[in-house]
Amino acid sequence: MENAAYVGLSRQMTLRRELDIVANNIANADTTGFKVEQLLLGAEIGERARNAFVRPGVSFVLDNGIGRDYGQGSLEQTGRNLDFAIEGEGAFFELDDGAGEAYTRDGAFTLDPEGRLTTEGGAAVQGDGGDIILDRALGEPSVAADGTISQNGNPVGRLSVVRFDALAALEKGGDGLYRNASNATAIEATDAQVRQGMLEGSNVNPILEITNLIEIQRAYESVTRMIENTNDLSRRAVERLGRA
Amino acid sequence: MRALRTAASGMAAQQLNVEVISNNIANMNTVGFKRQRAEFQDLLYQNVERMGAQSSAQGTVVPTGIQIGAGVKAGSVYRITDQGSPTQTGGRYDVAIDGRGYFQVLLPSGETAFTRAGNFALNGEGQLVTDDGYAVQPNISIPQDAVDVSISKSGQVQVITAGTTEPSIVGQLELASFFNEAGLEAIGDNLLMETAASGAANVGTPGDVGFGQLLHGYTEASNVDAVAEISALIIAQRAYEMNSKVITTADQMLSVSAQVKS
Repeated sequence: MENAAYVGLSRQMTLRRELDIVANNIANADTTGFKVEQLLLGAEIGERARNAFVRPGVSFVLDNGIGRDYGQGSLEQTGRNLDFAIEGEGAFFELDDGAGEAYTRDGAFTLDPEGRLTTEGGAAVQGDGGDIILDRALGEPSVAADGTISQNGNPVGRLSVVRFDALAALEKGGDGLYRNASNATAIEATDAQVRQGMLEGSNVNPILEITNLIEIQRAYESVTRMIENTNDLSRRAVERLGRA
Repeated sequence: MRALRTAASGMAAQQLNVEVISNNIANMNTVGFKRQRAEFQDLLYQNVERMGAQSSAQGTVVPTGIQIGAGVKAGSVYRITDQGSPTQTGGRYDVAIDGRGYFQVLLPSGETAFTRAGNFALNGEGQLVTDDGYAVQPNISIPQDAVDVSISKSGQVQVITAGTTEPSIVGQLELASFFNEAGLEAIGDNLLMETAASGAANVGTPGDVGFGQLLHGYTEASNVDAVAEISALIIAQRAYEMNSKVITTADQMLSVSAQVKS
């Protein structure tokens, strides 16, 4: 009898988690280089919801993982010459933040007092030969589509843009950073292009997220009603049987 | 429910965004003002199920894991230092910088501040000062009998005094540049201060490599683009509304659950 309530509960738990993820997507609708996520659901394969009197075929809902859409976000012109956007899905700027390698799509870079190109968080942007150091006295840096940085017409370095064969290897680390959670190695992304003076917006589709929000709320309500009805049913059963 | 707090962080971020945009719009006509932009970053993530974890006794592995983000935070609010358009004013002591660099100003506290606002004037002693009466560095004094003043592209200040035809040089304006201009700290009154993040000032002559030229009789308009700011404002407002929708939804879901036991 409680099966319905338990299965309903498992659905409610995943719905709450879905809401958390949608909330994070909407909160980050304006975050540079943010990639939208969604919860992947499935039926629990291992353990069936069990009750001696019920025929089998009832499964709990299980969230197996999250899917991250690495699709291109829209490019926004900022006019700042240390802002960079990558055009090309699944490619990242390579960083070194002291704790190891990190990857980002957020190309709002700056210079530290020594002239090293860093993120706003202070992680050093990696070039072909390690950190990129610019001398502002040489003039404004201009960056070509392949990442080559030149000042006054002379190349001074190259932004390293990499990708992974399997994007599922990446884990979000907050602050717009991704970390490599597997032992897959990054390879150079030759097809991706760097755009100077632009930033990549998030690829959150607000309409879709609001629709998800409505769906989640309605699904939650109907599951709740189902649990209520199940409760009612058992209460009435107890009442009637008790009277006899 | 985490969603409530996540959406609250989104609303706080958009509020900051509106504050930055409103400051830009308020300073649309401020001489030498540089627009600012709020940049956001995602907050930390909770690993509910770590990728690569075993998902069954048969050794199957979770391919993507579940990471749930906790919202958004302001990564930085940085100044976009592109050139504002030079506006002709005809002012005798108005100087605009075309290119990189800042004028140096001596504060009453003895510290040096930096500014792009070149709408200067003279004080009672004939010294070149800012609107607030702070002396421009290096000190430049214009003699009282000066008939005409001209400031060259490279910052040379020349005057023609009464009764002469030959201009005489009375001073040289200098500019300061920084490695990381975005690291300068704004203290109001169009002034900026050096910080550890900006690096030390590198002083040079206007027109040298890495320094802009001076335009006499002009001031630099702010680089705020009204259309861009208004559209940013619309985006910020809608994003704020959507976050509030999340809060409403989470609230209603909680209330539905709370009513089950009636």
